[in-house]
Amino acid sequence: MRFNDAIFGIVLIVFAIAEIAYASTFPRLHGQDYGPDLFPILLGVAFAVCGGILIAKGWLARKTVPMVAVGDWAQDRGNVFNVALLLASIVFYILASSWLGFIPTSLLILIVLLLRLGTSLVTSLIVAFATTFIIHTLFAKVLLVPLPWGLLLPIAW
Amino acid sequence: METVLKAFTLIADPYTLGVMLLAALFGLFVGAIPGLTATMATALLIPFTFFMDPVPAIAAIVATVATAIFAGDIPGALLRIPGTPASAAYCDETYAMTKKGLAERALGIALVTSVIGGLTGSIVLSMSAPALAEFAIQFSSYEYFWLACLGLSCAVIISTGSTLKGFVSLFIGLFIATIGIDGTAGFPRFTFGSVELMGGVSFIPAMIGMFAISEVLRYVASNRATIAVPQQPVGSVFKGLGSILYKYKINIFRGSSLGAVIGILPGAGADIAAWITYAISKKRSKEPEKFGTGHPEGLVDAGAANNASLAGAWVPAIVFGIPGDSITAIVIGVLYMKGMNPGPMVFIERPELIYAVFIAFFIANLALLPLGFGAIKLSRQILKIPRRVLMPVILVFCMVGAFAINNTVFGITVMLVLGIIAYLMEENGFPVAPAILGIVLGNMVEDNFMASMIKADGDPLGFFSRPIAATLGILTIALWLTPLLVMAFKKYTNRQRQERAV
Amino acid sequence: MPFLKTLKTLALSATVVGAATFVTTMQAYAEYPERPITLIVPWGAGGGTDATGRMIAGLLKNELGQPVNVVNRTGGSGVVGHSAIATAPADGYTIGVVTVEIGMMHWAGLTELTGKDYTPIALYNADSAGIQVRADSEWKSAKDVLAAIKANPGKHKGSGTGQGGIWHLALAGMLQDAGAAADAAPWVPSKGAAPALQELVAGGVDVVTSSVVESSALIKAGKVRSLAVMGEARLGAFPDVPTLKEAAGSDWKMAAWRGIAGPKGMPDEATKKLSVALEKVYKSSEFQEFMNGRGFGLVWKPGAEFATWMEESDAALGGVMKAVGLAK
Repeated sequence: MRFNDAIFGIVLIVFAIAEIAYASTFPRLHGQDYGPDLFPILLGVAFAVCGGILIAKGWLARKTVPMVAVGDWAQDRGNVFNVALLLASIVFYILASSWLGFIPTSLLILIVLLLRLGTSLVTSLIVAFATTFIIHTLFAKVLLVPLPWGLLLPIAW
Repeated sequence: METVLKAFTLIADPYTLGVMLLAALFGLFVGAIPGLTATMATALLIPFTFFMDPVPAIAAIVATVATAIFAGDIPGALLRIPGTPASAAYCDETYAMTKKGLAERALGIALVTSVIGGLTGSIVLSMSAPALAEFAIQFSSYEYFWLACLGLSCAVIISTGSTLKGFVSLFIGLFIATIGIDGTAGFPRFTFGSVELMGGVSFIPAMIGMFAISEVLRYVASNRATIAVPQQPVGSVFKGLGSILYKYKINIFRGSSLGAVIGILPGAGADIAAWITYAISKKRSKEPEKFGTGHPEGLVDAGAANNASLAGAWVPAIVFGIPGDSITAIVIGVLYMKGMNPGPMVFIERPELIYAVFIAFFIANLALLPLGFGAIKLSRQILKIPRRVLMPVILVFCMVGAFAINNTVFGITVMLVLGIIAYLMEENGFPVAPAILGIVLGNMVEDNFMASMIKADGDPLGFFSRPIAATLGILTIALWLTPLLVMAFKKYTNRQRQERAV
Repeated sequence: MPFLKTLKTLALSATVVGAATFVTTMQAYAEYPERPITLIVPWGAGGGTDATGRMIAGLLKNELGQPVNVVNRTGGSGVVGHSAIATAPADGYTIGVVTVEIGMMHWAGLTELTGKDYTPIALYNADSAGIQVRADSEWKSAKDVLAAIKANPGKHKGSGTGQGGIWHLALAGMLQDAGAAADAAPWVPSKGAAPALQELVAGGVDVVTSSVVESSALIKAGKVRSLAVMGEARLGAFPDVPTLKEAAGSDWKMAAWRGIAGPKGMPDEATKKLSVALEKVYKSSEFQEFMNGRGFGLVWKPGAEFATWMEESDAALGGVMKAVGLAK
């Protein structure tokens, strides 16, 4: 998804204003004129300056660069769906992995994504199971990363 | 000479050598897995070192770290997922080489320069540890502030495309670094009440998101294969390397020595060494326009630098018990446990142990050559897997890696958000590398700035009050002003010429 | 419909109680611990808390017959890790290292958590603050330090950890106890004792009030001198360093401490088993050797004694933080 520079400029300036406003509520250091607010405010000013230049550049180039150009992918429904599915899988993992457990969550995400991207059912299943169990063994068993067992806790090995 | 011989017999023990081999394999493995850093590898090793003699214990750590830093280059080159933060600086460069079909060449260069850098670092460590530590310990917050500023200037050099967008990217990184409890007053900034955010945005999930997730997104959004390029059969990993390395012999020397020096400074480790040397390489290059397109030059510098810095970090650790990086922070603990309490006295009391450590560095780096060769051969098979199968698998690896660094799904949230931001940035011509540099250096700039202001009671002249600080400060400001002066001078001469023409 | 509603509630409660009984009997049948235990360390890999935590985890494994996995949950001045311990399921399978900061964070308004939110198992370490100066400093004793700071408030800078950290309170409290303003020596925040000591040696600050142990390498290197220790008695490893009382007649004491605790409401069986195992670990020669080798102070206070310790520490820290203006 491509935007004209001016759009980014506006976003940056709005962000800078909000950020400076919020940062100036930070407390000062005990008996000093500067504190945790100093750096964020300096950054906010920098954002605003860059935003201003971007707006100017984008405005000058408005004839050749449209304000918003959705890439080729957005024309293709399938690709839009792929992106949504990918993002949804990550969100699903974040929300579900602790109670569902790593193994079921990973299997589910892998099978769905593999099938969607055009891998055959048998290959998908083999890849999903192999990947999940290899990752689980490597991380949870060898490297002691506490991947959640979730529903599988009673049969944890 | 007698102590050196004694040290050799300590290392040449079959048990010690066996431990080193196992540790090296372990390091290769952990380093190649995104989300698990060389620091993590060392921490995982500690329980085993409890039950070892001092020499095998330390040698195991040396071997693990040396191989882990190289191994981080492998997923970086093949999949655009830097295995450790030290590989982030040239991740895009090696990935671009892979896209050209030169994966083996890229990794071959990374391997050989790692070995050379590592050996150089070892030489620096063994020849001049006490003297160098004496220099490094003179650095106060003023010096570190200027050093970090110099590091930030690299952002402009390394950014490809528009300088303005490079700046925006850098500021985004610096802003991300301000999230969390601030180092000066202990005040939670931009956390909106979230306990997880109080800890700040962890670097590893951020890096995985900005490199790997944005790449996966680009793949599913475009449906075009990101690396469908058939890899050129180079024949051997090492074939043709000789001429490349000969061509860039100055780069190897520069990267190795700078890397070792940066490593010696406490608080600046392999990742910062790689960024700075990569930027210097581009700045000094005859063909800077080729950087970022799969050009080996910067890789030569930075690949040598990050391994060289590892040994450098041991200098202040052994001499003063001040860690040069997060790995040596753990090492100091092990040294204490093994009765090799850090301090100049250890050179007098147990010189054979110190020499044994030095020898372990040489052996570990030499062993990296065949081991790394094997790892490259094995891992390049990954490229033969069709993308549609590989991408979902990468996604799961990334999520587990982002989880592993702090053992919380919050890491995955960070990865997701920054992945989307990085994707949008890259689609619109904003380079990602400066943002990552900003995250790396943000706290170092701010903390040292604030500490210096407090020390100087707010007087800006304090930043020039010490000889090294003043030198670094003037150097930095000169570096910043030069392009402006050059531009002004050019404009002036142009006008004169035009006037004369009229 | 009230009757139906009651019936529904009754049925629901019966199910819940039934399920709960079932779960508890299940637990009672299996001997604790039947699976690996997680030990949360709220500080980063490589630090003192991490080192002691990993040592304990390694030795606990032998006592309990189950692996004890160390998990670093860092960030937010310890808030993140301490919250993770307190909010973990109270089944005895997640415990953690609780550090002195638990009595500080809530005063600073960073969290609601206090020592009362944990099941205390045992305190195993406490390190008194020391007063460290550069080797070539003109200050020869703690008295000199106090006199110089009093004579020139604001001129001499101190460091050792972040703003409002434990070593900051050590300095502020000492100054206040000596009749000076708590901020007479402005605090330069650092990321910990090691970088602060580096600043000290480089000439950036004048005094560092971290634990004496943390500067032992620099003391041996002849770069740093330790003038006093803010504890009851001199340290075994540093018999030449006087207590603050001996050096300056001040009663001020400050120590950082570490203990093992679990979330509130852990089953008694687990708590008992853990404290028995932990006591064995504490008394083992491996642990004693390790702690003495690194110079960590050994203190043992199990269960209720640990709870009292936390309460007292909490109150003392709150007093200083209010005086310095760090409490919300």
